Amino acid sequence: MQVIVVGLIAGSIYALIALGIALVYKATRVLNFAQAEIGTGTLYFTWWLCTRHGLPWFVGALASIAAAIAIGLLFEVFVIRKMMTAPRVTVTVATIGLFSFVLALELAFFAGTIYSVPPPLHPGGVRIGGVFVSWSQWLALGVVCAVALGLAAFLRYTDFGLAVQASADDPVAAQLMGTPRAKISAFTWGTAGALSALAVLLIDPTIGGVLSPGAFSGLFIGGLTAALVGGLNSLPGAFVGGLAVGVIEAEVKAHLDFNAIPSSNVTAMLVIVLAVLLLRPQGLFGATAGRRA
Amino acid sequence: MTVAEETGVVVAPRAERPRRTRFWTERRSNVAIAVLLFVALPLLTEHAMPKLLEQHHYFNLDVGVAMAVAAISLNLLLGYTGQISLGHAGLLAAGAFASGIMTSRWHASMVFGLLFAMVVGAAVAFVLGLPALRLSGLYLGIVTVIFGLAMQSSLLRSSFLSGGSAGVPMFRRVWGSTMTTDNAVFLVVSLLLLLGVWLVDVNVVGTRLGRAFRAIRENEAVAQAFGIPVTRYKLLAFTISGAMAGLAGAMYGHTIGYVNNEKPFDSTMSLMLVIIVMVAGAGRRLAVVFAALLFWLFPSFIESLHQWSYVVGGFLLMATVRTHPDGIADLLHHRRKPPPAPDAADSDGDDELPALPQLPAPARPIEPLLSAAADAPLLEVSDVTVSFGGLNAVDHVSLAVPTGSVVGLIGPNGAGKSTLFNAISGLVPIGQGRISLRGKEIQGLRCDQRASLGIARSFQHVGLARDLSVRENFLLAQHQLAPYSDVEALLMLPRAARAEAEFRARADEAIAALGFEAMADMPVRNLSGGQQRIVEIACLLVTAPELVLLDEPSAGMAPAAAENLATRLRDLRDALGRTVLLIEHNVPLVLDTCDYVYVLDAGKLIAEGAPAEIAANRAVIDAYFGAAV
Amino acid sequence: MTTPALLSVTGLRAGFGAQTILHGVDLDVPEGKVVGIFGLNGAGKSVLLKVLAGVVPTWSGSVWLDGADITGLSPEKRVQRGMAHVPQGRQVFGSMSVEQNLRVGAWALRRRDKSRYDERLAQVYDTFPRLAERRRQPAVTLSGGEQAMLAVGRALISDPKIVLIDEPSAGLAPAVVEDLLSVLLAVRSFGLTMLLVEQNIRFGLRLSDSACLLQRGRVVYSGETSSLDQEKLGTYLGVGRLLADDLSKGLGGKPVAKKRARARAG
Repeated sequence: MQVIVVGLIAGSIYALIALGIALVYKATRVLNFAQAEIGTGTLYFTWWLCTRHGLPWFVGALASIAAAIAIGLLFEVFVIRKMMTAPRVTVTVATIGLFSFVLALELAFFAGTIYSVPPPLHPGGVRIGGVFVSWSQWLALGVVCAVALGLAAFLRYTDFGLAVQASADDPVAAQLMGTPRAKISAFTWGTAGALSALAVLLIDPTIGGVLSPGAFSGLFIGGLTAALVGGLNSLPGAFVGGLAVGVIEAEVKAHLDFNAIPSSNVTAMLVIVLAVLLLRPQGLFGATAGRRA
Repeated sequence: MTVAEETGVVVAPRAERPRRTRFWTERRSNVAIAVLLFVALPLLTEHAMPKLLEQHHYFNLDVGVAMAVAAISLNLLLGYTGQISLGHAGLLAAGAFASGIMTSRWHASMVFGLLFAMVVGAAVAFVLGLPALRLSGLYLGIVTVIFGLAMQSSLLRSSFLSGGSAGVPMFRRVWGSTMTTDNAVFLVVSLLLLLGVWLVDVNVVGTRLGRAFRAIRENEAVAQAFGIPVTRYKLLAFTISGAMAGLAGAMYGHTIGYVNNEKPFDSTMSLMLVIIVMVAGAGRRLAVVFAALLFWLFPSFIESLHQWSYVVGGFLLMATVRTHPDGIADLLHHRRKPPPAPDAADSDGDDELPALPQLPAPARPIEPLLSAAADAPLLEVSDVTVSFGGLNAVDHVSLAVPTGSVVGLIGPNGAGKSTLFNAISGLVPIGQGRISLRGKEIQGLRCDQRASLGIARSFQHVGLARDLSVRENFLLAQHQLAPYSDVEALLMLPRAARAEAEFRARADEAIAALGFEAMADMPVRNLSGGQQRIVEIACLLVTAPELVLLDEPSAGMAPAAAENLATRLRDLRDALGRTVLLIEHNVPLVLDTCDYVYVLDAGKLIAEGAPAEIAANRAVIDAYFGAAV
Repeated sequence: MTTPALLSVTGLRAGFGAQTILHGVDLDVPEGKVVGIFGLNGAGKSVLLKVLAGVVPTWSGSVWLDGADITGLSPEKRVQRGMAHVPQGRQVFGSMSVEQNLRVGAWALRRRDKSRYDERLAQVYDTFPRLAERRRQPAVTLSGGEQAMLAVGRALISDPKIVLIDEPSAGLAPAVVEDLLSVLLAVRSFGLTMLLVEQNIRFGLRLSDSACLLQRGRVVYSGETSSLDQEKLGTYLGVGRLLADDLSKGLGGKPVAKKRARARAG
């Protein structure tokens, strides 16, 4: 049972990454390979403010989120906006470029040392029915639920949210209705950045607060697998996929980790992805591909 | 009066060029270079090289050459075929481990080790590619990025392979217990291997494999219409790439003497390979090799700048795909030779469309369909329905195309004509009904299979690979005529070389017949609309297809050129004996050239008959111009 | 002294890449009138609408709407100024409900004056009762005709100054085309200004006060619908004498019966 709870919590953080991937994919048919790395890079801001300068975690977290939104917006303005008519594969390669760039900056400035980021809350937690859930884990759970519900409500009930959905469905028709294309694109990528930062901020305490370049590649893989399982263009799918992948990973780690295949959870991701592509490529909730070129 | 003047049909004359055969064909010169190197390098090594460079310089060169092989491998996948691999380091690692285990644990010679590395690389690529490549381009990227990490943190630490991070030693075992420790000698070996891989890549480009890969990158639907089984070829590209990557990994491993799950094959290497291929020039072998050598040799000379090279690399990748996606090499190429201004792109100038070439029927490796009774229709569409969502784009339509006739399909916008074409050619599945070619049901076949049976189709927006030259498109169009297997192509065995020569001759004839010699090597996108269209139709004819489907061929042409088109369409039937099904908006053109006309409106067939009947048909008039209200 | 046209296009040139599609188009749409643009495929009708929408850039020439120069404006700004669109193929937002589609269509209205939204929504539902019945259904489940109604309602809800309609009858069954025609005639009777591109000539001529014939990117005829005769139609549309003869019989000053429509104030 403990395993399942741990899996659900980790899974909810994967869901944040998956939400970012799905949001970008739904809106632009581009796969954002930098979805986790943006947040990894900005976590160094948190380290700098909190560990180096002793500011409270909250301040560092805000800084990280703000920086990540800025990266998303800059990328949108300088790269995405110039590639509106480029083939989707090429734009995806651009996100690979962003991924490399951020990772390379981390390596250039911070390679060699492992830094540590203080946890958001005190260690310790609550034991419910034989299962221990730490405060950090509660925080993660709470934040993810709030974000998922908030995003869903925003997209469904506000004018701008509806405009984002319309633009994802048919960008030219959405423009003809008067919706602001540039702002919608900026929203998409800014939000992707924020989700990235949030996910890394939340998962870092669960691995002891360590920070090193590219440390969260496992998070990216988990989020990517989750997005695929849920359906690349489905936001509810991303959420459910995240939870599912989290639980599966926790179970695999607990029961199937041996020397024949160490860290089998990562191999499990590969197997899941191959299986999904063979059996149900559109994922649980995704529409079958092919509506737009 | 000559026959030509009388009938108005121009028969293509045979090319007049003197056939002065060159002794030094490309293939022969490649072989000669290989022999020279094989003989010369060991001599150089023994006597000259040790005095020029230190061992550690050779070491760096060995590494550089290994990565050059890796770059060729990724270039084939990403540059030619347009499929993303973000875990190429994992494939290199697989090859390295394979060779390492062969030479250390099983005491086999490095020769076997390298071969085994290639096999393993190909096998892993096949397993990864099979689920992903059936789908669109991004999925391979997803699979490979996860694969790369899985290799690094999990699979390569398996106790079967090494146990944890212990890794595998990589002995340069020549035979038995004889090892070679001289880096210079190994450089010779490496260079020969690079040469071998280079030549294989040359063969890929020079045969239908390379043309198919590049067509797939540009437009999968057009590739399918030319008879290319897209999924199979994507998988083939990845498998070949995997074999080369495995070899590269083994070469690297034997150079450094030891590999484990993290050194030297990590995710930054995968990223750098992608950056090198995209920035240097996607699809340009020399640029990519040069960039790989530069990148992996450079840090050894300026160690401290190594980490910044990654930063620059990431930045360059974003800049490159944003502004000049074909990379630096392409940019330089264009600076040197600016593309000729598209002449008369307004189509105001090309009233004259050259005659379609009349070529002898090609030898077909595929058995022609058993001909049904002579008066049975060539194409029969029975009660076909195609639906999208809840709407029937094509609603219980039946039509027949008799052999040797030109049949027109007209109807207002949105009537479902193109959808019906797509259903006949196989790009869209049908909900119900039957489609038969010469009595054989084809509705279950893939698009490329139907192309191989003799259905050729044009596209509204010119179905050619526009980045390829006119000549290359004519070669691409002959894809299904190739009598050689993939292995024969890779090694350019005599049968493949002969077939390629025949294809080139046939392409030259067609180009000469059109009078397009001057533009033969220009990318198709530089031609005017009318010229592109006539090249497209000529390409369709190169395989002597049973049935030619033309989708709005006059779209984008000046009225005078459209007049000309009518003549060419009549040529198709009269002089060339083709059967044609034609969609057109230009109703007078259709009424002028067709033997029989079908009229579609809102997915349903509302009229059929001879042109004169159709022109006076109430229902047709109503459909186009609205019912009297 | 004639009042200036609501929409005024002068010397419009535009195209794709190196190919010019529109070679200097002049066009005026007076307020409260319907102008129909006709021509063969490839004449540039759809490109003209896309340029007017702002989706395709203008190379030279100008576009004025209600006394203001909108030539360089983005599509969003043009919609804010009172332009509305019924795109080719309807292009409803399939994954969203009917009501959500209408709300997106009301984007400009809600920026201007949110309080009028409920009233306008009610008016649209009044004009298209079938949409009211299906207000919560995803738009992709609607029939072709219902999607057409939705596309028109989506354009009307923001109370625009002019509506640009691109081949509304394309792909629709004849009975549905009938319904659509009566709806658009009703809309015309409210005094709404429309610019219509149509391939179905009778449909277009029934709806239009004046016609503009395009051939290869140039205006070859522009004038009252009633003065179109068979010769012009025949020449410019290439339809042949027989069909042109037939067409012109339905025109020539005969008042066309309008179906009774519910009057709505403004």
